[in-house]
Amino acid sequence: MNKKRCALILAFSLFLMLVLVFISILSGSVKMPFDEVLGILLGSQKEGINYNIIYNIRLPRAVAAVFLGGGLALSGYLLQTFFNNPIVGPFVLGISSGAKLSVALIMIGMLRYGKAVNSVEMVGASFLGAMLVMFFVLFMSLKVRNMSVLVVSGIMIGYICSAITDMVVTFADDSNIINLHNWSMGSLSGMEWDDVVIMGVLIILCFVLAFAMSKSMGAYRLGEAYARNMGVNIRFLRVMLILISSLLAACVTAFAGPVSFVGIAVPHLMRQITKTSSPFVLIPASFLGGAAVTVFCDCVARTVFAPTEVSISSVTAVFLVPVVIAMLYKRGRGN
Amino acid sequence: MTEGLQTQNLTIGYDTDLVKDICIKAVPGTVTTLIGPNGCGKSTLLKTLTGELKKKGGTVLIGDTDMSMMKASEIASKLAMLMTASVKPELMTCREVVETGRYPYTGFLGILSEEDKKITQRVIEETGLQDIADREFLNVSDGQRQRVMLSRAICQMPEILVLDEPTSYLDIRYKVDILENIKRLACDNKLTVIMSLHELDIAMKISDFVVAMGEWCVKRTGTPTEVFEERFIRELYGIRNMDIGLLGNMPWISPDELSLSTDGDVPVLSLLTNEKTGRKESAENESVSESVLSSLTEKNAECKEIEENISDGSDVLSSSINIDEKFTDASLNASSKSDKIVSTQKKYAEGGDKLQKTSKRKGAVAVMVQGTMSNAGKSLIAAGLCRVFSRDGYRVAPFKSQNMALNSFITEEGLEMGRAQVVQAECAGVKPDVNMNPVLLKPTNDTGSQVIIKGKVSGNMSATEYFKHKKELIPKIMSSYEYLKANNDIIVIEGAGSPVELNLKKDDIVNMGLAEMTDASVILVGDIDRGGIFPQLLGTLELLEDKERNRVKGLIVNKFRGDISLFDEGVKILEEKGHKKVLGVVPFMDINIEDEDSLTERFEKREEKNFDIAVIKLPHISNFTDFYVFEEIKEVSVRYVTKQEDIGNPDILIIPGTKNTIFDLRWLKEKGLDKKIISLYKGETVIFGICGGYQMLGNSISDPFNVEQGESEEGLGLLDVDTVMEEEKVRTSFEGIITDATGCLKNIKDCKVNGYEIHMGRTACKGDLKEFTSNQTGYCRGNVFGSYVHGLFDNKEIFTGIIKAVAGKNSKTVDTKDCIDWYMYKKSQYDKLADCIRNSLDIKGIYEMMGL
Repeated sequence: MNKKRCALILAFSLFLMLVLVFISILSGSVKMPFDEVLGILLGSQKEGINYNIIYNIRLPRAVAAVFLGGGLALSGYLLQTFFNNPIVGPFVLGISSGAKLSVALIMIGMLRYGKAVNSVEMVGASFLGAMLVMFFVLFMSLKVRNMSVLVVSGIMIGYICSAITDMVVTFADDSNIINLHNWSMGSLSGMEWDDVVIMGVLIILCFVLAFAMSKSMGAYRLGEAYARNMGVNIRFLRVMLILISSLLAACVTAFAGPVSFVGIAVPHLMRQITKTSSPFVLIPASFLGGAAVTVFCDCVARTVFAPTEVSISSVTAVFLVPVVIAMLYKRGRGN
Repeated sequence: MTEGLQTQNLTIGYDTDLVKDICIKAVPGTVTTLIGPNGCGKSTLLKTLTGELKKKGGTVLIGDTDMSMMKASEIASKLAMLMTASVKPELMTCREVVETGRYPYTGFLGILSEEDKKITQRVIEETGLQDIADREFLNVSDGQRQRVMLSRAICQMPEILVLDEPTSYLDIRYKVDILENIKRLACDNKLTVIMSLHELDIAMKISDFVVAMGEWCVKRTGTPTEVFEERFIRELYGIRNMDIGLLGNMPWISPDELSLSTDGDVPVLSLLTNEKTGRKESAENESVSESVLSSLTEKNAECKEIEENISDGSDVLSSSINIDEKFTDASLNASSKSDKIVSTQKKYAEGGDKLQKTSKRKGAVAVMVQGTMSNAGKSLIAAGLCRVFSRDGYRVAPFKSQNMALNSFITEEGLEMGRAQVVQAECAGVKPDVNMNPVLLKPTNDTGSQVIIKGKVSGNMSATEYFKHKKELIPKIMSSYEYLKANNDIIVIEGAGSPVELNLKKDDIVNMGLAEMTDASVILVGDIDRGGIFPQLLGTLELLEDKERNRVKGLIVNKFRGDISLFDEGVKILEEKGHKKVLGVVPFMDINIEDEDSLTERFEKREEKNFDIAVIKLPHISNFTDFYVFEEIKEVSVRYVTKQEDIGNPDILIIPGTKNTIFDLRWLKEKGLDKKIISLYKGETVIFGICGGYQMLGNSISDPFNVEQGESEEGLGLLDVDTVMEEEKVRTSFEGIITDATGCLKNIKDCKVNGYEIHMGRTACKGDLKEFTSNQTGYCRGNVFGSYVHGLFDNKEIFTGIIKAVAGKNSKTVDTKDCIDWYMYKKSQYDKLADCIRNSLDIKGIYEMMGL
């Protein structure tokens, strides 16, 4: 582990993320001059349409992208640590889809009784769904030690959840369909400050918890037996990993719908760049990397075919699937 | 400081109980090894000890604390582990892996302090990992990974180290490396090491304590020598009748078991064949009569003991030399001159010195003595070389792949071997071992021979049949050779006949073929006495193939009569024409090291002479060399008997030592021999019990530690003593006197006794017995004498005294005057031989030739 290199990469990721956030705020269907945007952000201009656009639409969306992207990448990193397998992530294991299904059910159920779902309830429902799928995956992983079986079964359960979600959507009221459809495709549009605060609190909490586990996770790299021998409480570690990663995935899904591949690709990318597997480095690195990638993808999603928005998952897939394939290729050849 | 690791009635298993009632105590500074077949629960036990598996019952203690009461972090700082399978952490350098060993000592976030880093660096340096420390763990070899993992465990600074097959998948270099490290940790850092191993040979060497696990329970625990008993190991692994010769020489296999198969399993091959080949065969296998001898004394047994001690390691070297001095003392008759003792002691002292020098080298080097013809004097030259090398402090063993002779020698284990190697072994100061002569052919008629492999009869074969079969013997021969090689510094190999019997050269296993296999330097010996020394040596060289000729490193002209300087010119010519160095011209030696008595029939002798001694031939008889002295007297017969009716009415009855007292005592009773002994006792016959025999004479023998059978047995009750088998083996030399002798033997009172004790039990005297041998080693009452001291009879004063007294009691007269001290005589002849060889040969040149 080269400390200088790691510190440099962390600093650069932070810088890149901030630049991307700024670019994201700068771009959109309403053209705004650079000076004005800078002025609004620095607080010298406090009114006008542009101020409202930036402050109430673009900024919360960018900040949400930072939290959700970071959270997603972190969730992927934790799952990879847990399963000791670099090709798992919340989306691949179906956790995101599970969360999506339960959110869809809640949304439609509540709407039928004329109630709107608030963000806390959304996260709660999402967490429930994530945990259900998680338990299924855990069950599979206990019974079948083969990693590809684990991934395949994750993808399968993901499909089932998506299928049910689609059916539910089919029978939903017309008025909800657009909303639901957009959400289930994955989108960061329509983020409000209230949502951002809730997700911010949750995700920062998860981040701190994850960071606190970094010593145990470091030991866990040598396998369960050795970790136990180093005094790690394995059961506690595993429970924590499951809870934190599920909460993160649930949080992301609740607010932005399922976002694919960030969870797999980013931790892997960061490992390759930092050339270490130390959780001490990778937890912040994954977070920052995930944030940067998501901000960038969100920016692409809404600007490429503006004013039409494409789903964020489509963009992340286009950019990140090659990374995953490259990784699989490298590993396959390495073996 | 911890007090090690201990289990109390521990039960282990996964879903169901696998092994119950495990009680192990591993002590700091020792290596405890678990052995047993696959699936017997070794790993399960280790996993239970590390806490990976939940125990099913019982307790595990670290020091005095129950492990289940300890916190994970507390255990982590006391117990570190190393498993078989290498882990696969991505993107970690070796240093980072080692650093994880410090985790138990770091704070909440696991950040290493400067102190931790220093410790890591020190461990890395100690284990020689500097070069790979910053390489990625996954990019180094398996062996290095295992070293890294061991360093990790060291870094954890544990008091207990648990290792699950740490050497699997490793090549021999890393095996040695890892094991050396483990041993060092145990010795220097006083760690408690507990590990599982599959390699029994390694387990035997490295362990201080062995736990043999089998189905359901721990089968045996103890020191390696206690556990590694062949029969037990075979049973443990379920290979009772399997031929495991393929594995080579496993140290736990008693050498004789490497032979073709068990008795009687081999079909007896008896084919007729053409006479010519038969004769040729006998010619090739020259007669060994020129140097036949027998009659071993105690010396051999002791030397073996000493050698074992020395080979244990250099740390025991000094102590073993001390013992050796005493043994040497003991082995010489008390009447011998003290200056001889001094010279022998000196020899061993020098030997120890040399050993330290040579102990680094693995295995012995070989020198082979080949002759231009039969009776060229190879055996004697080889014997002389053995003596010379041995006196120079090397561990020497003689070797001849195949002997043909009618008379053989029976080793203490009851195995047959050629006598020439026995003489050579005696010259080398070691106990004769069948491995020194793995193949023995005893001609049964003109065309066929009885084939004896590693001391056991394998069948009868015709010469042609044998010739075909010969090639298959190579593995047996080589396994014997390897065994000797591993335990010696120099092997002196003797060839047979001439190396250029061109029609018989194919598949040669006795001359150049063997030299090739053992990579031996060859010395060619010619016999000048029989004439034609130039054609003998130069012709032989000429007929050798180039490769073979290169093996010949020197020539010897043997049996020269007269003034050797007269042959200077001849030496020059030989060196010029043969392009080989002449190592020396050996004069015709008048050396008598032949024995009058054949040993083959020792156990078969039935003749009762004027004075008769009967020795009970117990199934596990040991140290029967104790009674050789009596055989020196012409009018005395020593008979070994197994049946009640064979005992007859001897003047003296001896119950000898045994390797398994309780078993043999039961055998004695089954055979009804006990009744006969008691009736002889009532008839006032003089009865001796030595070691195990002494224990049998007592009231009872109990075995609370399960050393032998684990039960107790009532003794013969002739002496009021009780024996308790103990875990500790007594193995000391003995210097004392006959304190008191009752009955008819009053005349030997106060005689000096020099001998040794090797036994497991302690015997306590209860009744009003007289102390027979001093220091409470033996007691007597009436005409019954028991003692632990081997070599008791060696003193001439004692054995002649006994004979005279008993003869007197039975109103016989036995002439003991002409009995020479055979042992001393033989020894002087050996020394004469060695002196002669040293004076006439370029010994320094021979050492150089061997690369020493």
